[in-house]
Amino acid sequence: MGGEILTNIIEVDNVSKQFNNREILKDVSFIIKEGSINGLLGPNGAGKTTVIRLLNGVIDATTGQMKVMNFDPKQQGDEIRKRAGIVTESASLYHDMSAWDNLAFFSKLYGKYYSNRINYLLQQFDMLPYKDQVVGSFSTGMKKRISLAKALLHNPRLLFLDEPTNGLDPEGINEVIHYLYKVNQEEGVTILICSHVLHQLESICDSYLFLNEGRIVEKGAKQELEDKYLKEISLLVETGLNPVNSQSYKGYPYNRKGSNQLEFLLASKDAITPLLTNILSETWVHSCEITNRSLEALYFNIRGERGDE
Amino acid sequence: MNKNTILTIARKDMKATFSSKKVWVPMIIVALIICIVVPTCIAYFGIHFDIVGTSSKDIEKPINAFIKGFPSVDMRNTLAALPSLSYKFVYFFLTFMMIPFFLMVAIINSMVTSSNSFVGEKERNTLETLLFAPISITDLFLGKVLASLIPTLGISFAAFIVSFIIVNVITYPYFEVILYFNSTWMILMFWVIPLLVMFNIILNVLISAKVKTFQEAQQFGGLLVLPIVGIIISQASGLFFLSPFILFLIGAGLLIANLFLIKLVTKFNNRNTLFQSQIH
Repeated sequence: MGGEILTNIIEVDNVSKQFNNREILKDVSFIIKEGSINGLLGPNGAGKTTVIRLLNGVIDATTGQMKVMNFDPKQQGDEIRKRAGIVTESASLYHDMSAWDNLAFFSKLYGKYYSNRINYLLQQFDMLPYKDQVVGSFSTGMKKRISLAKALLHNPRLLFLDEPTNGLDPEGINEVIHYLYKVNQEEGVTILICSHVLHQLESICDSYLFLNEGRIVEKGAKQELEDKYLKEISLLVETGLNPVNSQSYKGYPYNRKGSNQLEFLLASKDAITPLLTNILSETWVHSCEITNRSLEALYFNIRGERGDE
Repeated sequence: MNKNTILTIARKDMKATFSSKKVWVPMIIVALIICIVVPTCIAYFGIHFDIVGTSSKDIEKPINAFIKGFPSVDMRNTLAALPSLSYKFVYFFLTFMMIPFFLMVAIINSMVTSSNSFVGEKERNTLETLLFAPISITDLFLGKVLASLIPTLGISFAAFIVSFIIVNVITYPYFEVILYFNSTWMILMFWVIPLLVMFNIILNVLISAKVKTFQEAQQFGGLLVLPIVGIIISQASGLFFLSPFILFLIGAGLLIANLFLIKLVTKFNNRNTLFQSQIH
């Protein structure tokens, strides 16, 4: 994106959605920067899918304002849909049609039928050898890849993914994450991923939105969230250290996790270096890792704090 | 309205219809049996074997009543001039009784393709993707209507042409009249049937966008066969005959009904409503 100032590609301001007298979203506000990868996280039923539908203008918000690529989803839905790609939770492909026919059909609907693009995407997603097979014969992972290719046919600026890793095995999940990163890096596509499986997104998202019961309970980059919620550090050290005191070592409390593993509880990251210097002066250290900084741990921290309110 | 979108959707659906044997084979079989095998058998066996017999008062009565009351003098004379009751029966059956059969085939086939249209997309989870595409709901509707209209009319017309040739090859040497080749049949095939099929399809597509499952759509569609059953009964009992003028009026009525339905479709042109009622 060559030093450009990142613009807001999505702006959501105080959006609420009611359906059948039930409040699905309440006062949701957030912005998304162009070129970023964003995780919209929350348990099932939190309203993640509703957010995606509202942003695409396929359903209307009850109150509030939204701008997607400077278009209003309520009035200019088609303009947004022309420029956005979507992978819905179910693969949403025609099972009786071949991979190629599916992609050709959708590209025609978007008014962008170029066989070069279809070939390129099939190749990118390692599906070129299967292009003439019917989609019904594909594994879940292969269907997901075709759905991803489908969402990218028209060179979208914005990509929405609703639970893109559902039903995939660990290998499939890694592949999808890898493809998404590639699409973001190579084509500069802004990505919004909805998921309830947190650890998968950790490696690629720039920032996160936490949704719970229709409200945004927290948002920010991982670093910001860490600074806010990581009040105590759990440091797992693989070491030959065998302290005399079974509860603390030089004032640092610890738990023994295995024959060569000690988990220290530290007040901040600043305590890591002095601790390790002390240990290294006595014995070996093979590895050390902060165990409570994972997205999942942060998520439970956030939910825990909110739950206490 | 985007012509390319409509054609893309229609082509995709027609390809699906003709790539699934479960769909197109029954459509062809229904047309083959009702529009071709039945009249061929009636023509052949009626002329070559005395199937009716001389004592069949049941059939003689409506035929004679019909001959007497027929408004066209030419036709009355043609019928009266036919030598046996068998010939009269064949002529009567092929010229008048076949009309509701052709109507029935058109209705059945249009129902098969159209009741599946929206519900089919929904059951395959593809309706959601379609609604996420930059296409208007009207285009989606029109594409669906076209995808049902073309195969149904195609099969009806093909069945008519084949039936026309076979029946006339069999009967012309005896009757010296070309059957199916009169104003009644022309109005039926090229005015009433296209409008009836269109009516049935638009109605079914509308219903199929409203109901939740394929079965419900078929149930509703089934009701449309009832008026045709009524026509068969009235034709056979001699209660009232479909004259060219009545057929023309039926067509005009269907045309008005079609315009009304199209207006309803455009009113229904709301992605939000469709999305919230169909996608969960």
